[in-house]
Amino acid sequence: MGAQKTGLLRTPWFQLTLALVAVVLLVVAPLLLPIPVNQTLARIGVFAVAVLGLNVIMGYTGQVSLGQIFFLGLGAYVTAYGVENGWNIALVFLAAVVIPGVVGLIVALAAARLGGLAIAMVTIALPIIGVPLAKRLSDVTGGSQGISARFSSAPDWTGLANDQWQYYLVLAIGGISFLLVFNLVRGKYGRAFRIVKENEAVAGAMGISPYRYKVLAFTIASMVGGVSGFLYMVVVQYTSPETLAFHHSISLLAAMVVGGAGSIIGSLIGGIYYVLVPNFTNEVAPTLTSLIQGAILLLVLFILPGGIASLPRVLRRWTGRSSRSSPPASSPPEASAPSSDPSPSTPPNTSPSTSSTTPPSTASVKEDSP
Amino acid sequence: MILKKKVLSAVAMGAVAAMALSGCGRSDGGGSDGGGDGGGAAASPGITDEAITLGVTTPLSGGTAGPGTCTVAGLAAYMGAANEAGGIEFGDGKTRTVEIEAFDDTYDPQKALSNFQQNQGDVFAFTSGLGTPTNRAYREAAIDSEVPQVLVQTGDPIFSDQTESPWQLGFVPIYQNEGEAFGELLAGSDGDLTVAILSQNDDYGEGYVEGFKEAISGSENIEIVSELTYEATDTSVDAQLTELAGTDADVFFNAMSITPLVISSIEKSRELGWSPSWFLPSNTSSPVAILEPAAADAEDGFYSVSFAKAPQSPAFAEDEDVVTFLENLEQYAAEYTTTPDFPHCMWSYMVGATLEEAFKNMTEPTRENFMEALRSIEDLQAPLMLEGTSVNTTEDGQPAVSTVVVQKYNGQGYETAESFD
Repeated sequence: MGAQKTGLLRTPWFQLTLALVAVVLLVVAPLLLPIPVNQTLARIGVFAVAVLGLNVIMGYTGQVSLGQIFFLGLGAYVTAYGVENGWNIALVFLAAVVIPGVVGLIVALAAARLGGLAIAMVTIALPIIGVPLAKRLSDVTGGSQGISARFSSAPDWTGLANDQWQYYLVLAIGGISFLLVFNLVRGKYGRAFRIVKENEAVAGAMGISPYRYKVLAFTIASMVGGVSGFLYMVVVQYTSPETLAFHHSISLLAAMVVGGAGSIIGSLIGGIYYVLVPNFTNEVAPTLTSLIQGAILLLVLFILPGGIASLPRVLRRWTGRSSRSSPPASSPPEASAPSSDPSPSTPPNTSPSTSSTTPPSTASVKEDSP
Repeated sequence: MILKKKVLSAVAMGAVAAMALSGCGRSDGGGSDGGGDGGGAAASPGITDEAITLGVTTPLSGGTAGPGTCTVAGLAAYMGAANEAGGIEFGDGKTRTVEIEAFDDTYDPQKALSNFQQNQGDVFAFTSGLGTPTNRAYREAAIDSEVPQVLVQTGDPIFSDQTESPWQLGFVPIYQNEGEAFGELLAGSDGDLTVAILSQNDDYGEGYVEGFKEAISGSENIEIVSELTYEATDTSVDAQLTELAGTDADVFFNAMSITPLVISSIEKSRELGWSPSWFLPSNTSSPVAILEPAAADAEDGFYSVSFAKAPQSPAFAEDEDVVTFLENLEQYAAEYTTTPDFPHCMWSYMVGATLEEAFKNMTEPTRENFMEALRSIEDLQAPLMLEGTSVNTTEDGQPAVSTVVVQKYNGQGYETAESFD
């Protein structure tokens, strides 16, 4: 019974239909939902992209980065500056991606030579330098009073309200970012990232330069951070030094872990967590927000150490155990493609040689890697 | 082939569903819900005949949680007492109770905007919230949706500029007001005085110096002999102090917002044998947190400014306002704090009194009418205010409280200084 159901879920047309339904729902929803809900959904999109960037470097490549919020902030400042100076919006977007990318590349060239905790320390420095820098460069950043840029009001021809227009911008740009990263981590680069994460010596022995892949992952993470900064300005329309304060990096990290490290869906869940949990705790008891958030974080990690994205896998394992009579051979309970997380909780019966579709078959990596 | 067909039919079905659903789309026009002007006295959101709801988005956790919690506590104490007495009688003849809804924004601009967006439908007005970036983050959104964002606790002048901020009003004095008050005290003194200035290199320090210079601009007896700055991130100002001590100025105007730096400058100047009279900003002049640890000698003359009675000061221990305030805090704000560790507790208590005054003059239950009523308060002596200060909302460009009283440290606490000596 369980096996049959999983079989149905795994057929390509079913998954495709599901994806299409999801897309249609996402497109139609803002036309019907009240304004505050749309605003919340758009905000979720912003932070889902930020968590996605963090996932590239941390979840997939295994390098601790505590500076992701800096790239969000940099993207936001570049956007605000560009808008303020009347640049074309396409150029603004490009700059908001490229500039954080270049900064990320420069930092990574130095930081990726370091291993383990040292790289974490270097990345901590980014927001710590960023805040006073943003205050100091007041001609560009507006100083401690911040800078606002209102460029995301709905154009008349759309007939949309502002909240709907902002939602669609986030959906489009965020959706494309998710697709690109999804393709990246599923392809040869993703496999290389995973091997670097697992064991750098093995990676080196296979002709994969850990250094180059770490720099690559860090640069991509910075660019995705820049995208989220642009989207931040679409939704929030204001940034200040407070935006890139260090502790937000920790919140992003917590959101990534709660959502599921090394998981695309996990990034989305992370965004939902980042935005909805503070709203929720405010409803419960505004004076106890930190306490409740801490409790929720602990609870999730106790029950689902792999993050919420690992829930289907955990459930499948449980149902598999309860109905042990049916032979599991027809569908090995391997991780589904989006949450291809090589965490220890993956059932041990997926040997790389038998599953040709998913995780890193060592042979295929060697062929694909440059 | 079959797969293709099924996918196509799924798409078609989805599209049909989408069209059907979008036909009955939501009933807003252009995303604005501030349509109160058409219906005359149709009540704005957040107000009924029995109650009015006020929102406070402020840091209740994180680094600024202490002052942030106080921005709710004083207001909750004031309104709790008012509700207990049966509510406030509004100008339209109805008696309403006041509900306070607090939202934690952790000093994060993005969360402040979120709190505003999520709750503007149920909240009549946002008030009392602490922080420049957080208040700035939803300032424009509040203007767009015509929601009052009033008596907020930030020294940023933009909130008191009526053309830029038609739906806003700041509460606490702007930085310029403080510098000006001290400048006036000096200008009014008899002897010739030399002044050395050290200020933080940002809008905070500049505001103080600007106000000070304006006040002394016409005075022949005051001469600024040296003016230096430091960065908010500096860990030491010894170099600047050494240079300033070289001038041996009579007065040291120290526009500094960093507590440890103030302590070390008091110590350093003593070490250098320079004993000027000091001016310190209101937020870095605490006797307990700064002057005592620095072993400041009251003989030198430490001046600061204030507009609130300090409950900790022995001079006000028996004061009627202070006694009532502490009782109300204990009784109605226990959820937040019962000890007024930060002046924001007193300030938000005054915010409560100012709001009550506005409510009394409100003849229609609308946000427009509330703003009108709020902007016409003159010389209100709110509880806990020092003699010589008052709430005055009629002047464009000035916050609700723009008068401060210069005070002098007497070794224990501050007392009002009539003249500079």
